[in-house]
Amino acid sequence: MRLPSLLAVLLALVVPASAATRLNVAIGADVNVVEVHKTLLGPGFHATASDVELNVVGTGTGEPASRAIYTKIKAQADAGRKPWDLDVALVSMAVASQMVKEGLLSRYVPQMKNAALVKGAEVKEAFGVNVDGYVVPMFHNQIALAYVPSKVANPPKSFDELAAWVKANPGRFGYNGIKGGVSGVGFTMGWVYWKTGLYKELTQGPFDKGKEPAIREAVTALRDFNKGAVITNGNAGTLDALNRGEIWMGAVWIDQLVAWKNEGRMDPAVTPLLPAPGLPIYPLYLVVPREAANREAAVRYIDYIATPEVQARAIVEKFGWYPGVDAEKVLPLISPKSRELLFTGVSAQDLARYSRQMPIKEYHDLISLAYEEIVR
Amino acid sequence: MLGAVFLWPLGASVVASFAQDGQWTLANYGTVARLYARDVAYTIGVAAAGTALTFLVAIPVCGWLRVRAYGPIEFLLKVPLFVPFVVVGHALRVFWSPYVPSFSSSWAGIAAALAWKHLGLAALLLLGAFRGTDDAYLEAARQLGASTGRLTRDILVPMAGPALAVTGILIFSSMLASFSIPLMMGRGGGPQMLMIDVYYRYGQHGDFATASALGVVAYLLAMGAALVYVRRLTR
Repeated sequence: MRLPSLLAVLLALVVPASAATRLNVAIGADVNVVEVHKTLLGPGFHATASDVELNVVGTGTGEPASRAIYTKIKAQADAGRKPWDLDVALVSMAVASQMVKEGLLSRYVPQMKNAALVKGAEVKEAFGVNVDGYVVPMFHNQIALAYVPSKVANPPKSFDELAAWVKANPGRFGYNGIKGGVSGVGFTMGWVYWKTGLYKELTQGPFDKGKEPAIREAVTALRDFNKGAVITNGNAGTLDALNRGEIWMGAVWIDQLVAWKNEGRMDPAVTPLLPAPGLPIYPLYLVVPREAANREAAVRYIDYIATPEVQARAIVEKFGWYPGVDAEKVLPLISPKSRELLFTGVSAQDLARYSRQMPIKEYHDLISLAYEEIVR
Repeated sequence: MLGAVFLWPLGASVVASFAQDGQWTLANYGTVARLYARDVAYTIGVAAAGTALTFLVAIPVCGWLRVRAYGPIEFLLKVPLFVPFVVVGHALRVFWSPYVPSFSSSWAGIAAALAWKHLGLAALLLLGAFRGTDDAYLEAARQLGASTGRLTRDILVPMAGPALAVTGILIFSSMLASFSIPLMMGRGGGPQMLMIDVYYRYGQHGDFATASALGVVAYLLAMGAALVYVRRLTR
């Protein structure tokens, strides 16, 4: 009689009684984003839904992190295995659009209580794919220029002024080309929008091969511009070069700049700016795989993240990211100090005027190819 | 077993390199030739320079160690064996950047870092070969007044010729396939090592076909070296 009682006690200790549903969350982003889910969003959600336990896994950084999630889901789909073992994933715009195109995602947004807050052009279309109902941006991420005010007295307000500044200050502007991360890709796209004046056509399509000469001409001009620029070895490489004073201006992710400043790794004086006619945003989307085992709990978790109070507390105040859902509902909830930090250098008006979309996939590939062929 | 874990994935990537949208094609190799021919030459150049630099340091030091065994130096020489590639890339970049800012991202910087990492392997293989040389030859030469340098050049190196060739091939192949060090040290522009291109094609574009074609080119380069290695082994 004694042994079975002992076993029963041991089992009760080993197996948690509450964890009815285990939600597998794959994060295709840097460790700081993984930490938000593990330490802030996960516990916050668990407090409102005690029947759900989160298992958060990070898959790396940059585009390859999202590719890893795609590869896993695609392999399960191809193998005909059901259900799939990922319930929620955070993936890049490019990968999310590909997954929607291949029918790998669930159209879950209409089931959310906060569905009305999921707004903006980027939740309707991404890289020319209709993603309406499939994606919720966790936060918005803007590519911008950052400069050292003590070295740059009159920062350029437009690409025209930037080109003139780089000519006058060779070796003092840096970005990471197109192989070192998306901030460089975004800068390249912004350059092409400016040079060609084809923003609307490149982002809304339809694809027209006749636009290629104009694109190649713009990329050829970028090759000449690069002669006065430093090509860094990545998003972090640009920030690092700025911080060391090797360069005085560079193309960066605003969220990364804010994160580095918050961690004390960055000269607090370095200021972002958005030049006319603008640079792209590149959101990370929360998605639910089509055959997720716990779809209902997955939707509840994303709904929780999309709540204005949670967005204000975890996304804006804690990390200095732009809200992923309706900013009009979120921004009134943040403190004046956070608001000031959020809009230093880049005002809400700048964002409204100069925040740009990425081009549709065909143009994106055409521009990348032209860069590889011409700029190299 | 060998087929399942090695030949199958190898075959799958070779097949993928000849396919696009379900059709057989050479287009992926066309892309490699158009966009990455310079990177192939660059990769061969960096790997060759790195191998030469490794030998330039390892041969005299191992020769000296063969003649006058000295434990602490031998230990130091083998330390790079246990340092991960990423750590080597990061450490050398941080070490060089303040003094010679553009060196670490240049081809010479990458070749020097690769040589640093491969010194341990070279020491392990060369010391074994040098120690296999009969002492009688060395003593005879020394009695005739030969210095350590002379012993190394005229006796140890010629007698360890086959082992030197195998060491060179192994190091060259490893440098051809290096990824972490060029990733940590290189820049986002200019010529790249082949594995960086493979990562870019797949990671950024999801372009498995061109990535596979680049992989096949890398196999072929390494295979040339491997054939020499196998012939040495079976001789």
